Amino acid sequence: MNNITLPPLIALLLFPGGLFLLSFSLFFEWADRKLVARFQNRLGPRWFQPLADVVKLLAKEEIVPDGVHKGLFLVLPIIALAAALTAALYVPMLGFSPAFSFQGDLIVTLYLLSVMTLCLGLAGANTADRFSLIGATRTLTQLFSYEAPFLLALLGPAIVVGSWSIAEINTLASDSLWFILSQPIGFLVALVGLMGKLELPPFDAPEAETEIVAGALTEYSGRGFALFRLGKDVELVIGLTLVAAFYLGGIINPLDFLWKVAVLLLVTAGLQSLFARLRIDQTVGLWWRVGALLALLQLLAIVVGRYLNPLLFGR
Amino acid sequence: MELKLDTPWQRALDQIKTWARVNSPWAIHYNSGSCNGCDIEILATLTPRYDLERFGVKLQGSPRHADVLICTGPVTLQSRDRLVRIYQQMPEPKFVVAVGSCGISGGAFQGCYNIVGSIGEVIPVDAYVPGCPPRPEAIIHGVVALLQSLQKKPAPAAVPEEK
Repeated sequence: MNNITLPPLIALLLFPGGLFLLSFSLFFEWADRKLVARFQNRLGPRWFQPLADVVKLLAKEEIVPDGVHKGLFLVLPIIALAAALTAALYVPMLGFSPAFSFQGDLIVTLYLLSVMTLCLGLAGANTADRFSLIGATRTLTQLFSYEAPFLLALLGPAIVVGSWSIAEINTLASDSLWFILSQPIGFLVALVGLMGKLELPPFDAPEAETEIVAGALTEYSGRGFALFRLGKDVELVIGLTLVAAFYLGGIINPLDFLWKVAVLLLVTAGLQSLFARLRIDQTVGLWWRVGALLALLQLLAIVVGRYLNPLLFGR
Repeated sequence: MELKLDTPWQRALDQIKTWARVNSPWAIHYNSGSCNGCDIEILATLTPRYDLERFGVKLQGSPRHADVLICTGPVTLQSRDRLVRIYQQMPEPKFVVAVGSCGISGGAFQGCYNIVGSIGEVIPVDAYVPGCPPRPEAIIHGVVALLQSLQKKPAPAAVPEEK
């Protein structure tokens, strides 16, 4: 089962990176908001809503508040979006093989996804506003809590396949039993970890509007805010693609991609509307007491299984 | 103030900007001294029953993210500075909707020792919604009327609009 490869220039500008990814991520934001709205018995936004939001924000005045490092303030949103877009080059978007692939690109992708969160934290700490500062602290605290379990959860399939390359894991995952069946705990930790990464509702303490206005992005208006929002949407697409490729039996063609990612989006939207916001200490407690422990157990089970398998079945 | 070029490219760009503005008005809600009646109606407007997200309206926490300042009540001496500050913190283009009779004229509180006056005397107001308190339908109608007035003028100036 081979995936199709693309020439580099198209890969950078049109297909997995650039134009396609931006429009697709806006579509995903709409789908997410619409699903949550339907779960709450509302009509929900119209299909062009995220596009209108982004265009409006881009056309708005950008205020650089007093007491910030101006260069950092302006450049952080660009770095955040660029890192998210770069990460898209290593995942099997829409079932095509990744534009670039090497041993270890799994780790590179995960760190590129974390750059976004680091930029958010820096952006909050850069401004003199107290709400931004609290938001930045919470963002970084949350980063330290979900990052390790999320990494451990994605490590499971990588160990079974015996490769650090996303493309290889994707190909081999489609040939074997779906990892969601053989590693259900890992799937759960990965999906909930993704929600923590994206600061989706149960884990949105860093931007809790009832307590700290808008968190780290309180002082951002116009262009900077638009780019951060876009970056978060791009990360949603990449994260869902990664989880689908690892746990839902790989992504072979566009149709395969669409239905698997749609199922994942449905589950995350359901979780978003089911649970109320956790306090930041509850988030950290959940991840380190439950999430990391479960992921470690899963990892232990895989290692023991790999050791016992040849002994029991003589393979 | 800014250079206006009447080229086809510029006109198309202006149309796109206006379209985006009309379709995504993010609101911030401020009570400058009202009795809370109008505020409860505004909160009722934002509930799933009326679902303003279908028009693209989102309630924002930060004035930096908002386009429309929905303001209720007469302006008290205490809240005048805060109201002006919130208005100044909002990035251009920004619009103000005054909700309730008190916001229009001071209402029942007119002439009190601690009242500056109506909202229009402190900051420029773009749309007034009368009522004590106005129904959620009236508030939605006020915001929609404001958005329709944007479509007529390509670059709306923030001046108080009578009626």
